[in-house]
Amino acid sequence: METYKKQGNAVNRESLIRSAEKIPPASAKAAEEYARKKELLAAKVNEIMVQRPDILYLAGEKNMEMMKDNHSNHARFVASILRYFQPEVLTDTVLWVFRSYRSRGFHQNYWAAQISTWIEVLRQELSPESFASVYPLYEWLSVNIPAFSNISELEFQQTPEHDF
Amino acid sequence: MEANEITEEMYQHYLSSLLSGKRLQCADMAEKMMRKQIPVKNIYAGLFQRALYQVGELWEHNRISVAAEHMATSITEGLMNRMYPNIVSAKRIGKKILISGVEKEQHQVGAKMVADLFEMKGWDAFYLGAGTPIHELIRFAQETKPDRIGLSLSVYFHMEELEKTVKAIREHFPNLRMLVGGQAFRHGIPSWLKTLPEVMPVFSLDELEKRIDSGNI
Repeated sequence: METYKKQGNAVNRESLIRSAEKIPPASAKAAEEYARKKELLAAKVNEIMVQRPDILYLAGEKNMEMMKDNHSNHARFVASILRYFQPEVLTDTVLWVFRSYRSRGFHQNYWAAQISTWIEVLRQELSPESFASVYPLYEWLSVNIPAFSNISELEFQQTPEHDF
Repeated sequence: MEANEITEEMYQHYLSSLLSGKRLQCADMAEKMMRKQIPVKNIYAGLFQRALYQVGELWEHNRISVAAEHMATSITEGLMNRMYPNIVSAKRIGKKILISGVEKEQHQVGAKMVADLFEMKGWDAFYLGAGTPIHELIRFAQETKPDRIGLSLSVYFHMEELEKTVKAIREHFPNLRMLVGGQAFRHGIPSWLKTLPEVMPVFSLDELEKRIDSGNI
């Protein structure tokens, strides 16, 4: 359950939480700058993502609006978690997002494309100090994409069909 | 299994009716449970709350649409409105509580359950629903002078609104105790709230009932 093997190490929800506990906290100034610019950041990410030639493959043909919602909610959530950090909330929310979007046809490769876009936009739009302060959270997200993807994939496959 | 418990079969039947939009069937089941003397709090937690959590999971796994999720919420609120006249305690204890979702919050069923539980225990509960602007909440509290204020937060990224609301209440009513609860706190409370002794987190209807009954509220 919720486990996959990578380089001999089992990664599951609990180990993700333990690794999230080690993310250096963002400075108050960086959290404030991120929160202040969150609409702009989401708009820039949308702009770049929709222009990708492979976007329909990554997100699914009918999912453009849902993808934009995800970017908007991403910015609001990260603004909140930078200020009120709780590793369990971070881990479970990311797992929830992976499950919800996987079940609607988003490809696993969408997450790597999305997070790398966020990092580039943050590098461009935040001050160097704030970017450096926020980056560890995004690095953690980026490094753990395979784990989140595999855990959510397993859960998706194990979900019983309902006949409503 | 005691006669006044909600069985798995009853729950599954209710859930199926809820997802099919069969309001009358849902209402009939809830009323039969009340006639069987199943405590209202158990109907709220073991039927309504459990079903809505499962509805959320079904949406998460793309088994149902957003429309079906909204329908389930709407039916549940309707059932609670139908039950309300029968659950309010005739004995009033002369205490008032104001209950609201924080500004921008759109979820309100949990807060309504809390308000109803207070009414069952003889409190006068002013239930404002979801997303009350802070200045309106303060103004309403100045008019009604509640003994407690309860704030509900479901979505974590509205935490800043909760912090602003708590700060405004402390400024206007320095001695007023607050309750906070909701899905945003399922992993516990953030550190800033732990430093405020006048703010009491409540994690379930069971816990809330025990606190009300023991006077520890």
